[in-house]
Amino acid sequence: MSGLLQIHDPLKPKGQVVGIDLGTTNSLVAAVVHGTPRCLPVDEAGSPLLPSVVHYAADGGVTVGARARALAAEFPTSTLASVKRFLGKGRADAETRKLGAYRFADGVGDVVRFEVAGGTPVTPIEVSAEILRTLKRRAEAFFSSKVEQAVITVPAYFDDAQRQATKDAGRLAGLEVLRLLNEPTAAALAYGLDKGSQGTFAVYDLGGGTFDVSILSLVDGVFQVKSTCGNSALGGDDFDRAIAEQVLAARGLQAPTPAQVTAILAAARAAKETLTTAETTTLRVDGHHMEISRAQLETWIAPWVEKTGPVCRRALKDAGLSAAQLDGVILVGGATRVPAVRRYVQQVFGRAPLGDIDPDQVVALGAAVQADLLTNAQRQDEVLLLDVIPLSLGLETMGGVVEKLIPRNTTIPAAAAQVFTTFQDGQTAIDIHVVQGERELVADCRSLARFRLSGLPSLAAGMTRVEVRFEVNADGLLSVSAREQATGAVQSISVKPTHGLTDEQVEQMLLDSIEHAEHDIHARMLVEQRVEAQRILADAAKQLRENGDLLDATQRRTLEEAMALVQRLAGEEDADALREAIAALDEMAKPFIELVMNRAMTAALAGHSVEQA
Amino acid sequence: MQCWNCHTDFAPGTLLCPRCGKVQPPAVGATLFDAFGLAPRVDVDIPELEQAYRERSLQVHPDRYTTAQARERRFALEQSTLLNDAYRTLKDRAARAFYVLKLHGLDLSREDLGTQKDMPLDFLEEVMQLREALDGHREKGALEAALHMAGDVSVRRSTALAEAEAALRQLLAHPGQDAARTEASHALARVRYFTRFLEEVDAMEEEALEG
Repeated sequence: MSGLLQIHDPLKPKGQVVGIDLGTTNSLVAAVVHGTPRCLPVDEAGSPLLPSVVHYAADGGVTVGARARALAAEFPTSTLASVKRFLGKGRADAETRKLGAYRFADGVGDVVRFEVAGGTPVTPIEVSAEILRTLKRRAEAFFSSKVEQAVITVPAYFDDAQRQATKDAGRLAGLEVLRLLNEPTAAALAYGLDKGSQGTFAVYDLGGGTFDVSILSLVDGVFQVKSTCGNSALGGDDFDRAIAEQVLAARGLQAPTPAQVTAILAAARAAKETLTTAETTTLRVDGHHMEISRAQLETWIAPWVEKTGPVCRRALKDAGLSAAQLDGVILVGGATRVPAVRRYVQQVFGRAPLGDIDPDQVVALGAAVQADLLTNAQRQDEVLLLDVIPLSLGLETMGGVVEKLIPRNTTIPAAAAQVFTTFQDGQTAIDIHVVQGERELVADCRSLARFRLSGLPSLAAGMTRVEVRFEVNADGLLSVSAREQATGAVQSISVKPTHGLTDEQVEQMLLDSIEHAEHDIHARMLVEQRVEAQRILADAAKQLRENGDLLDATQRRTLEEAMALVQRLAGEEDADALREAIAALDEMAKPFIELVMNRAMTAALAGHSVEQA
Repeated sequence: MQCWNCHTDFAPGTLLCPRCGKVQPPAVGATLFDAFGLAPRVDVDIPELEQAYRERSLQVHPDRYTTAQARERRFALEQSTLLNDAYRTLKDRAARAFYVLKLHGLDLSREDLGTQKDMPLDFLEEVMQLREALDGHREKGALEAALHMAGDVSVRRSTALAEAEAALRQLLAHPGQDAARTEASHALARVRYFTRFLEEVDAMEEEALEG
């Protein structure tokens, strides 16, 4: 979070821009190609879905996607899925206590850290950066050119810490984040432009780990979010856990191992998906099996599905609309495939929902459209998105009470100011605590950051007046500036994000990863050269054994010295030196090889095989 | 006012220079009415306001200035922020009334004001009775009774707001008329008490719904 409102350099569209859906379960990258948004292939099979799974190996290697997911059963604590649930969260957050296989490490600052193989614990930002990096590379492969700018989507209900963490992950992956776009808004953009219609829509977005409802109206080229409401800790993963808990109870497993938990969760997910179309299924895991019917599933997940009801009602209320006044309801997110969810949505909104755009792809497509709108001068006049801040921003005041400065559902960009004063004589610093949420007490809201305004003039209590100005930009990110009213001086603010990384920490990670990347490239090259060295030495040794008599003593010694050099360098770390030595040996062996070929030809012509010699 | 780019003069409340089209910064001391090029008023046509909001957003939203120079982007951000604040305030009847009063020197939006001392005693007693009744309902979980009270209070709030608006219209027509100003401030103070009451019933209802 920056101390002063920063106006960055003008956006220079650099080559191909993309939209990215960094999802809890799957991630996608999309772009506008020849005027149409499309999701890009992310694996050899051409699938647009990259499972948001990252595996860390003992040797420091990192695997992302379906291959990583395949390793989950064997390496449950080093294969991380649904990391989005942990972005912007602290070590003590309830999320870390839900049913799961991960091991959490403690460290500097209140940030979640996963203990994985390969050494250092990793933060959700780093894990997400690996996914983003993979998507970036796939997009670059598709376009055969660099991709350096992206619109990345976030759940509308993400708070400032979660948004900032997403932006940091983008940065770490080498992407300039053009905009953090709310997922329901992205979906509406994809639908709205597709249908070219005006009207008011509700977007019901139930993903793997987050739930959002947004009410939007599209009128005269302006797409305005009227309200947004959600639960950033509710999603399809909860359905999986509900099933898993039933399985654990049925088998009397009170202290399952991480491997068992992972296996059961995977089986639960598969069962859930099968029951979308089948009436019954058999859940098989660890040699046990259990029959599950759709009716049973619906009973188990009902409490979770019903949690979305009050959220929908609140969104309508905040928008000042009734369900009957909507022109349509859009379904987004894989979990909306579950029949019970569809029925529930129909019940709550009193109409059949729209779902003709693939609910898994629609968010990425919308992000691609927004990326194009932001950078393509020819499209600037098309559609304008007006989004809102989802949670009220406030400050801690006397007695641990929150004073709301910017209320929820305020259209952004927005600003508010508050004047602070001192309450002791000679006080030269004021502590400010920024929180986000709807509750009255600070303790019930999310802590975003603490600021200390220091260097204030030493005056009698109440004489110093400092105006603190809060600005929320189009990404929904907060920045703060302060002005001491008497002197007009802008004060320095030292910012410590409560559940995130400071800019310095992210910069350091970026540097580390660049060094790491170079190290990776070097390490790979070294391995390749060693393999090459073994091959050429084996060939040369064989030829010397079989045809060494073709060389005189001096020639033989020269060749053997060259081989010895390659042998020695192969045991060392300098890949360049090794490569040169191999090339030199290759060059040196050419005349010898020619002699060997001549002998073979002569023998063949004379009807003898060289092997017989 | 003068365009920073081509130095053409333009009327206050203009967002883009009429000659070169460059976005201008908000005038110093611009009011929320200025953001819509309106004179301060009590009554606003909401559909007209919404249309003006859309048209103006299309002109000054930061997304339209992503490749412009830093100064323009800064101005766009300021105009957009002001416009959003203005829209939010002017489209809500009560917020608008409070704002008009604020323009006449009385800011009632702060919680900690001494207006309490100006309030007639019988009104304060009435508010206390309402409060006690509500607390009683809350303790017994009697949501229906609380909602019934809210219905009554809602009507009283509208009445108080209408009274405030009448006084404000007077004030706008004859600025400096202290009687009108005082009447408006008392009426709006009543509106504020009633609003807070309704918010508390709202909170009760939400808690009951979310179980």
